[in-house]
Amino acid sequence: MAIRQLAIILVISTGLGLGINLISPNRIVCFGKYRPLSSGNEVIVPPNAEAGDPPFIALDLAELEFNSGEAIFIDCREPEEFECGTIPGSINIPFDNLPEENLENYIDSALGGCARDKLLISFCSGEECDLSLHLARNLMAIGYTNLAIFFGGSREWERFGLNIERRKNCKK
Amino acid sequence: MGKVWVEYRTEKELQKIIDNDYLTMLSRLAVGIIFIWASIYKIIDPCSFSKSIWYYHMVPGDIINLMAIILPWVELISGVCLIVGVLYKGAVVAVNGMTIIFIIALSTAIFRGIDIDCGCFKAAQESSEAAWESLIFDFVLIAFTIQLALSRSTKWRLKR
Repeated sequence: MAIRQLAIILVISTGLGLGINLISPNRIVCFGKYRPLSSGNEVIVPPNAEAGDPPFIALDLAELEFNSGEAIFIDCREPEEFECGTIPGSINIPFDNLPEENLENYIDSALGGCARDKLLISFCSGEECDLSLHLARNLMAIGYTNLAIFFGGSREWERFGLNIERRKNCKK
Repeated sequence: MGKVWVEYRTEKELQKIIDNDYLTMLSRLAVGIIFIWASIYKIIDPCSFSKSIWYYHMVPGDIINLMAIILPWVELISGVCLIVGVLYKGAVVAVNGMTIIFIIALSTAIFRGIDIDCGCFKAAQESSEAAWESLIFDFVLIAFTIQLALSRSTKWRLKR
């Protein structure tokens, strides 16, 4: 009897939930990767990602962490690209310029000696650039534990109307 | 023989307290209002609720949104059914099940060091106070839901 009544409650809830969601101004898509956004973005995962890599996050979570002020954003591109436009407040650690030796000291110094469990979000320009993935793997290897990769990068950040910090004007 | 009799009497008296009509109605109102109240903001803003579910890192990404759409309605309808007394036994099972799920989710979040306020991982001992407060609240809540499950009172139900 209880199970039959529970089934009725679940059926009514499912019907009402799906029905109201259809007409709600705050409706969200029912299935798919985690993407509850009105802007339509989604988690972008590069084909060379492997199990054990730090998590890839979508724009919504990147923005959430940005607004919380708790995370450090790391731009992995060359300084020239970094200066042309980046996520405000981010730190530039160009992946291509990483030293062969004393990598740990170099990174620790670049990050201002932040705690190993500080949330670090690496990114570069967008889908065609996987420097953020490589840098995140290096950060993981030297002991940083709270990492995420925003693979949409600065391009997606700008495309959805979020602020970009420009240190100089560059031709696009 | 005497000891067995005392245990039997204690058990009977405990059952009498659990079956008390007023206590049962109080539990129905308390649990019902809590579930209705908790469901409202989730129904209004399913996007934020789906993020909250995501923070726990327990549910596969593909079904998070579906869960965020349906679960608040289960809470709302169960809460209403408890207070009104319709589909009562089903609602009791539902609130017990949901409270157990909440306790498991919160406990694992605290154990794994997930800060449910921001969704980021922290050292376990630094997990936010909010998680501990919610967990204590859920343990109080489950005391009420268990009382409802054990109570044989049928008073003030619309449908018995």
